[in-house]
Amino acid sequence: MSSDNKKSKLVFAVPLIIFLLLCVFLFKGLFSNPRELQTGRLGQAVPAFTLPDLMVDDKLWSDKDLAGKVYLINVWGTWCTTCLVELPYLTKLRERGVNIIGLYLEQGYDPDFDGEFNIQALRDEVSQMLARTGNPYQYNIFDLNRSLAFDLGVSGAPETFLVDSKGVILLHHTGDLNERIWRAKFASKFTELKEVKL
Amino acid sequence: MIPELGYISLTIALGLSILLCIYPLWGAYTNNLRLMRAAPALALGQCVFVFLSYAALVYASLTDDFTLVYVASNSSSSLPWYYKITSTWGGHEGAMLLWVVMQAGWTALVSISSKSLPWPLRARVLGVLGFLGVGFMVYTLLMSSPFESLLPYYPVEGHDLNPLLQDPGMIIHPPLLYMGYVGLSVTFSFAIAALLTGKLDNTWAKWSRPWTIAAWLFLTLGIALGSWWAYSELGWGGWWFWDPVENASLMPWLIATALLHSLAVTEKRGVFKSWTVLLAIAGFSFSLLGTFIVRSGVLVSVHAFTTDPGRGMFILGFLAIVVGGSLALYAMRASKVNSAGRYRLFSREVALWCNNILLCVATLIVMLGTLLPLVHKELGMGSISIGEPFFNEMFSYLLVPFAFILGIAPLLRWKQNKFNALQSKLALVAIISIVITGAWLYSSYDFVAPITFMAVLLAVWVFVSTLFDIVEKTTKQTSITLGLKQLTNSYWAMVSGHIGFACVVMSVALTSAYSVERDVRMHPGEQVQLNGYEYHFDGIKEIIGANYTGHAAVVSVHSEGEKVAELHAEKRRYNVGMQFMTEAAIDASLARDLYVALGEQLNDGAWALRIYHKPYIRWMWLGGLIMAFAGLLILLDKRYRGTSSAEQRQSGKIKTVPSAEVQL
Repeated sequence: MSSDNKKSKLVFAVPLIIFLLLCVFLFKGLFSNPRELQTGRLGQAVPAFTLPDLMVDDKLWSDKDLAGKVYLINVWGTWCTTCLVELPYLTKLRERGVNIIGLYLEQGYDPDFDGEFNIQALRDEVSQMLARTGNPYQYNIFDLNRSLAFDLGVSGAPETFLVDSKGVILLHHTGDLNERIWRAKFASKFTELKEVKL
Repeated sequence: MIPELGYISLTIALGLSILLCIYPLWGAYTNNLRLMRAAPALALGQCVFVFLSYAALVYASLTDDFTLVYVASNSSSSLPWYYKITSTWGGHEGAMLLWVVMQAGWTALVSISSKSLPWPLRARVLGVLGFLGVGFMVYTLLMSSPFESLLPYYPVEGHDLNPLLQDPGMIIHPPLLYMGYVGLSVTFSFAIAALLTGKLDNTWAKWSRPWTIAAWLFLTLGIALGSWWAYSELGWGGWWFWDPVENASLMPWLIATALLHSLAVTEKRGVFKSWTVLLAIAGFSFSLLGTFIVRSGVLVSVHAFTTDPGRGMFILGFLAIVVGGSLALYAMRASKVNSAGRYRLFSREVALWCNNILLCVATLIVMLGTLLPLVHKELGMGSISIGEPFFNEMFSYLLVPFAFILGIAPLLRWKQNKFNALQSKLALVAIISIVITGAWLYSSYDFVAPITFMAVLLAVWVFVSTLFDIVEKTTKQTSITLGLKQLTNSYWAMVSGHIGFACVVMSVALTSAYSVERDVRMHPGEQVQLNGYEYHFDGIKEIIGANYTGHAAVVSVHSEGEKVAELHAEKRRYNVGMQFMTEAAIDASLARDLYVALGEQLNDGAWALRIYHKPYIRWMWLGGLIMAFAGLLILLDKRYRGTSSAEQRQSGKIKTVPSAEVQL
């Protein structure tokens, strides 16, 4: 009888326990920015894709071309003013020996409204911009329909992913990359990977 | 000067509510009648000073007192006077003050109308309400005072009220919702007081019921209005977005709906007591949780309010004390509560129990969908977003058993039923419903998806079985008029609530299935066709309003050669903030809405227009109103306004278990 009573008392405490658990998460939630997104693919491989090169006709890139190296995927666009600020820093990173692949994110292209996409105009724009800021990219993947960006969980530009030599996504950063962020978030992981490789 | 007085008034009100929290609760604890008797006067005093404080803010806003941060950032001198008043709750600080006003108002109302309650209970109810008042007032005074001054340097013009909020729907949407949220605090206080006194009897349920229904009524209206406003103002043709803030209002509503059914069982049959108390606590807890979600910025929402971690911390602390405290009290006391009544599997009690379970599951689904992104990320599993598909799918699953039971429940009696007696009735109702649904859908539409058929069938099922029940009840008597007379207000409330729900389900199903939309680019003079209507783009005209300019696309709509409507879809630019706003043009009718929203001008001089044809969408809000009418009917019921004799006049079928001590 008494054990029965105890059991039923516990039942009445269930709401309290659930609530306290919830409070822990709400408390933690206060200190994280909900707009800072983390890809759901952390720890997983870069999704399969086959996409054209931004600057060269008929050249195609796929996820297989990426294997074997540690690199950053940087999501950017000429329309993105923060990217303009970020590009010189990325160029410096490249000079330090960091592999950076660009994922060019075309904003708001709608085949129903905008008709044929004018790739030449975009190439001119890109060349002009990179001439001013320096070109950090080994090459640029052109994601016109934003399919790879969607699979990666990209919500805007600039965003940067750190991918290891097995093609696994280790980090996802939303917003511009600068010395402070590089040191805080990327540097340790990056050197660690390099060492493993060496 | 006046704003300072407002601040001082609020401080005095805080002092009074601290006393209101301490005196009666201490008095009830020590059995000191003099202390308990202080409660009503304190409640009224608190209310007066809070109202004075609010009046000061309204005055400051009406007189364009831009020395106040709040007025400077939420109003402007060119704003029409009625929007100047509504701007007092258009921003975070003012909205919190409005919340405090309502809290004080409800508290005063309780203290006036609870004269016949025994002192220990009355004192505790008011004491708990006083405690809640203290929390919100401290928050308003310390963390978000609308009386903050910009002196000595202040602007000559304000930032203007967010144009989205300059709409008649928005004038009353927040106050209605707040009335509902805060109203649930009364039910909450009754539950806590009952737990403290240790008397969870029918009296408690009977007292809680009208307050719950009043709160539920406001929530229903507030949610319906919010949905209507989103539809008519935002220009995307939707009516529900499953946004965290919308969900924050839906959760208390679902719980309140469960609660008012559960209270009915507890009042009439004396069962489900501990469950009902839990729901009463949960209702207000979800209001507070909603406040936290909205005000702390832990989730991404289209409703951009302040995101100040200090404020979030305060609300979370308050939430933890109030909800954690009451759930702890519940855990200690509820196990001692016995439910006396007996009932069989096939009875109205069980039907209502199922209703409660399904409503709570629905609440949990909404909570899960709303908070899972947060939990998921905090567990280091990456960001996810949960949107429409999840909620829509879950709610379609839930709807089936819910509506099915909803159709049966009114036909069931308390305690027990013979299944055989109902079998033929139910079969008849089912056949009629299927025939009506089939005839209706297949005659009007070429394609009927199974899910649409199911949802409409369920709506019709609820409708038919409710009508069936009315017919049966009235024809039992010698004449129909006598039969109708015999039906009580609360019976009609049930009818109205259920039919309103059926309307909403029907409308959601048909609108989701048969809405058509087209994004088109049009030059003036061109026309497009959509669902048998011809939309002719006559041209663009300039418009000038009190505090905005813009242009409107004039679109005339023809059907079968006749002009049906001329729509003016506007794009406004508000002068002060230079913000653009879309005013969709809608030709509304019970069978369909024609909806045109104006987009941008494209490079070649053409305009982007968005055209929708939405069948039966009006019924969604009409259904909401019909549901809300149910609440009104119960509130007008003599039993809840009058004295004890009214209760005895209730039909003899319902036996109320005599409650100890307290007679009303």
